[in-house]
Amino acid sequence: MSLSRLLERLLGLIPVLLGVSVIVFLMISLTPGDPVEIMLGDSRATPEQIAALRHDMGLDRSAMERFLVFLWNAVHGDFGLSFFHRRPVIDVLAERLPATIELTLVSLVLALVIAIPLGVVAAVRKNSWIDRIATVGSLLGVSLPGFWFGILLILFFGVHLGWLPISGRIGYSSEVHSVTGFLLVDTLIAGRPASFLDAAAHILMPALTLALPMAAILMRVTRSSMLEVLRADYVLFAEAKGLTRARVIGRHALKNALIPTVTVAALETGSLLGGNMIVETVFGWPGIGRLVVEAIFNRNFPLVQASVLLYAVTYVLLNFVADLLYVLLNPRVRL
Amino acid sequence: MTASAEAAREPLLLIEGLTTTFPVRGGTVTAVDGVDLVVHEGECLGVVGESGSGKSVTFLSVLGLVRHPGRVTARRLRFAGRDLAALDEASRRDLRGRDIAITMQDALTALNPAFTVATQITEVLLAHGRARSRAEARRAAIDIMRLVGIPAPETRIDDYPHQFSGGMRQRIMIATALACRPKLLVADEPTTALDVTIQAQVLDLIGDLRRELGMSVVLITHDLGVVAENTDRVAVFYAGQVVEQGLTREVIDRPAHPYTRGLLASMPSFDDLDRPIRAIPGQVPDPARLPAHCRFYDRCAEARESCRVPVDLREIEPGRLVRCARAGEVADV
Repeated sequence: MSLSRLLERLLGLIPVLLGVSVIVFLMISLTPGDPVEIMLGDSRATPEQIAALRHDMGLDRSAMERFLVFLWNAVHGDFGLSFFHRRPVIDVLAERLPATIELTLVSLVLALVIAIPLGVVAAVRKNSWIDRIATVGSLLGVSLPGFWFGILLILFFGVHLGWLPISGRIGYSSEVHSVTGFLLVDTLIAGRPASFLDAAAHILMPALTLALPMAAILMRVTRSSMLEVLRADYVLFAEAKGLTRARVIGRHALKNALIPTVTVAALETGSLLGGNMIVETVFGWPGIGRLVVEAIFNRNFPLVQASVLLYAVTYVLLNFVADLLYVLLNPRVRL
Repeated sequence: MTASAEAAREPLLLIEGLTTTFPVRGGTVTAVDGVDLVVHEGECLGVVGESGSGKSVTFLSVLGLVRHPGRVTARRLRFAGRDLAALDEASRRDLRGRDIAITMQDALTALNPAFTVATQITEVLLAHGRARSRAEARRAAIDIMRLVGIPAPETRIDDYPHQFSGGMRQRIMIATALACRPKLLVADEPTTALDVTIQAQVLDLIGDLRRELGMSVVLITHDLGVVAENTDRVAVFYAGQVVEQGLTREVIDRPAHPYTRGLLASMPSFDDLDRPIRAIPGQVPDPARLPAHCRFYDRCAEARESCRVPVDLREIEPGRLVRCARAGEVADV
């Protein structure tokens, strides 16, 4: 793929982001509730004090004016101050982002590791007991709500057996100096395997909770595309060449069958980065999801704006990555 | 007689009573029904018949490539003096691509779109231990590509199948099949997917390679013209059975089975442009409900009440086999 095509695709992001910011801004403006009232709570502030705070936060200006200021600052990398934290939004986000990305990546890997082999085996041994179990399992995985499954995990492994920690990213005694923000990496950099295991134990249940519904969908997609590919002439021809069954299935069939899986995985990853608010809340995971929930409750407009924008960017970028992966999997695709 | 003398007299491929069935809802479909066939060393055997007559399935059965839940049985199935039925799966796999290779109708679907030509040719060589390293396999692959007439194989080898024209793609598929210099090439409809101008080129190429590599070729086709011009012997398939087998010249000059005569009559002729093309009336019997008697009975212009009996393939003269109850009487009409 040529560099100019790549640039073109990246430039295509701009109108998308502009559109998203307009929509988010409008939705926030239409949301009932006054951030100033929420911040001051029941305290007996004088009208002058309220007006001063209002002015301080820029809320005395018109919506149009606020939007243009937001846009102008955003282009310069300034997303304003978080009303609640009294710190730049960008700092607050940067602090929480690694936790969500780490959780998402671990979930994605878990989901792929579960889904692809199961999907392949289910397709190759269609109608066998393993296919039936996988199919019923994936139906359950798709239909049961993820957080409910998370609560079951907590009750069983956390409370009943006491094997796994039920909340947070790492135990106090295991904390290490943050380099990347990814605890699984930082603990290794710090050379503390015990801390690494502690972080891994913390991430296991929330990651599984996110991974299983995703694995259910990915497994179904892999199974059905694999079934189709196995009927292709090139699979028969590969067998006629005298290749081992493992090579015919694992290379000739799988590389073609993975194309739909990659698309769905990218979309699912996008929604994980944005939509895991419930799971982060259930597991006390200090990521973006919880941050946004809090921000919405607090009418913390700048933070909400910036995070929704962030979601939009990640979503579009992930689709872009999926397109790049297509090219790797299927040489006929030209971007 | 010693075993080696026995093997020397034996044809390269010997098929006796090959039957392939597929279970379907409420019964079984018999795709191949008691096929007897031989392929001699170095010859080109034409296998002709309508689609669904069991031509391809016969050879997929020989290779052990009939897909689940198909069932293959045979009285005798021997290749190069070895009993194929007695081989385990690994030895059978070794045979495929190394001793018996196939090419398929459409190279566009037979070659994997996701891998380069280099990968697809070298993997055969590596799988059968014909190359010790990737570099050696690559050199051998370039050689075979040159042999099948691909220009600039050194650079084209890194291209993907879709980057070749239809005729070149067919050559790539042939190169892949011939990479290990097999003893037998089964070319399944090698020209059907090609333009008429390219068809002759591909058939000539297969003929040249056959002489050059000293292999036997089975040419599966529905085109009697292709059979007439390219094969030494021919087997005519109808509804899962061989109905006639013999030297190509003899079968075409003096067809002994009414179906063969029907096929010949339905071919347009350049010598006699005024002769009307006569299609065979009726349809091939449903493979799930085959009659016990002669399968061509319902469509046969020469059928008599006496034809309503099961008919075996019988030798009417040396090397000439026909499955028709009236073969002796009708042939000379």
